[in-house]
Amino acid sequence: MAVNLKQLTQHEELLTGGHRACAGCTGSNILRQIMLTAGQNTVVGGATGCMEVVTTIFPYTAWRTSFIHSAFENCAATVSGAETAYRALKKRGDLPREETGRKNFIAFGGDGGTYDIGLQSLSGAMERGHNMVYVCYDNEAYMNTGIQRSSATPLGAFTSTAPAGKVKQGKEQNRKDLTKIMVAHNIPYVAQTTPFHWKDLATKVEKALAVDGPAFLNILMPCPVGWHFDTAIGMQLAKEAVESNFWPLFEVENGVYKINQKPKERSPMENWMKQQGRFKHLFRPGNEAILENIQTYVDEQWEKLLKLEEMTAK
Amino acid sequence: MARQFMKGNDAIIVGALAAGCRAYYGYPITPASEIAQAAARHFPALGGVFIQAESEVSAINMVYGTAGMGIRTMTASSSPGFSLKQEGLSYCAGAELPCVVVNIDRGGPGLGNIAPEQADYFQVTKGGGHGNYRLISLAPNGAQEMCDLTVHAFELADKYRNPACIMADGITGQMMEVVEIPEADELKHDHSDWCVDGTPGTRKNLISSIVLDPEELEQHNLHMDRKYKEIEANEVLFEKYKTEDADLVVVAYGVVSRIVYSTVDAAREAGMKVGLLRPITIWPFPTEAIRSLIPTAKHFLAVELSTGQMVEDVRLAVEGHRPVHFYGRCGGVVPSGMELEEQYRNILEGGTES
Repeated sequence: MAVNLKQLTQHEELLTGGHRACAGCTGSNILRQIMLTAGQNTVVGGATGCMEVVTTIFPYTAWRTSFIHSAFENCAATVSGAETAYRALKKRGDLPREETGRKNFIAFGGDGGTYDIGLQSLSGAMERGHNMVYVCYDNEAYMNTGIQRSSATPLGAFTSTAPAGKVKQGKEQNRKDLTKIMVAHNIPYVAQTTPFHWKDLATKVEKALAVDGPAFLNILMPCPVGWHFDTAIGMQLAKEAVESNFWPLFEVENGVYKINQKPKERSPMENWMKQQGRFKHLFRPGNEAILENIQTYVDEQWEKLLKLEEMTAK
Repeated sequence: MARQFMKGNDAIIVGALAAGCRAYYGYPITPASEIAQAAARHFPALGGVFIQAESEVSAINMVYGTAGMGIRTMTASSSPGFSLKQEGLSYCAGAELPCVVVNIDRGGPGLGNIAPEQADYFQVTKGGGHGNYRLISLAPNGAQEMCDLTVHAFELADKYRNPACIMADGITGQMMEVVEIPEADELKHDHSDWCVDGTPGTRKNLISSIVLDPEELEQHNLHMDRKYKEIEANEVLFEKYKTEDADLVVVAYGVVSRIVYSTVDAAREAGMKVGLLRPITIWPFPTEAIRSLIPTAKHFLAVELSTGQMVEDVRLAVEGHRPVHFYGRCGGVVPSGMELEEQYRNILEGGTES
């Protein structure tokens, strides 16, 4: 499956301009790139979250395809219902002939709606084996409601419910490794990517849509509002998240791990973190140990990932 | 006494701290998130706990656990999140656990919007979850009451071993006013007769809401019903403004009552005898207070940010003795004073009924 930029640009844009995403948002790039690959024959479900809010301000919609909104906690269930109904109608012969071709079912949720409140319905949908792709756009906190921590928020990051001050220094826990939780569902395809790596992203969307059964994509989404960075550098931060091994590009096809990009020399986490206001307090004297913990954790996770690749190689 | 300029949502936490609450469990939602953020700032610094749960369901059940320990605890949310808490509230009520839950009502149904509404009135006052239970429901109309009624809610919750609810709207949560900070309450409350905190004295206690035998569950329900009748008899709070000689008694709570206040005098200057009865507890509802005005009032008018919910309780109080009119705006639209005065005129001059 070779993705060609020239071909992609000739596809119809299914997420139109004029939506209300913030300046410098990388989420709209994620949605556009996915939809360029998926095409018109797609049913999109969107959990409550920033990308749902900015693209579907009633009575307008930025989506040029079917879109169904659900509550925060149940997008995977909503899309399960749509996909099941479609299969049943098709089986009964109740669909007009032109509608019986392959349809894509894609569920979108942010990290709050996926790692936290939506995990139950996501897990259920993946276990039941619906023919759907679940995409988590992960900006590492609840940005839509005012930057509260989520279980995707990394250690040390400042949020309004994990503040930094005299007593506390931001979030005290490491983030949950949701991608691996999804791997543990033994579904055909799980992958992690970013909007900067457009070719990697488009290839992974193609693969996820092609498999028979459920697939899960976890996509890092640098957020200028919640991460506190200059609106020009969102894509740069997506790139550097991979170069520092904080957010490795990898995929798991039928249980086999493949790391899609191995930095020749990993860049230190400090370089990446220094560009984001949410980590500013960590560079104050006295917080050296937290910085060290963060680096150690990232390095350990990377080593484990290398081993998983080695162990599952065919 | 210290005075501070703050948002209504922040005043909730000032009240909670004054009431000795040191355990907050929350989940983000607009327009209630400031409550969780204020708790995150202040609770840990005072030796308390703040946990952001992974969902509203978890937050209310963390409250269930902490309340079971006999410790003052709370959670807060806005309408869609409050819906998710209903199961937990039913369990709290069934197991007779005191706690405080705040609902900063926003536009619904479904995801609705983040503008103010009072359309959760039924859910709050009639027992939004399953089974025979009630929430003690307090409806503040400003930042000071957000604080003071939170203190009162903790007291009532403990006194009756029942969840208490602060039902406010998006405006009352978001607007800023001066708040006089109350004196702090005791931190320790002895609940060893029913709580389960691992100490030898509480090992005999059981916290549960499962009563399999129908006769026994009926007894449990009747016991709770007696408690609710006692609350109805003793805990009603309301405020009256120029109702003594009013031809038209307006019944309004929360932010709407603020608008009605400002119209009563203007209406009187225009020759219309209008008064306001403001329920402060929306359950127990000030039924008797409304009934006592039947001899002098010619009309009643319920004004709400809904398509008509509290008006049903006003009708039950008036029992057909006088016409009960209704005027409501919803979806986040708030009526203006002029709009209300026009309603008063229509009613008093026998114009078109709304």
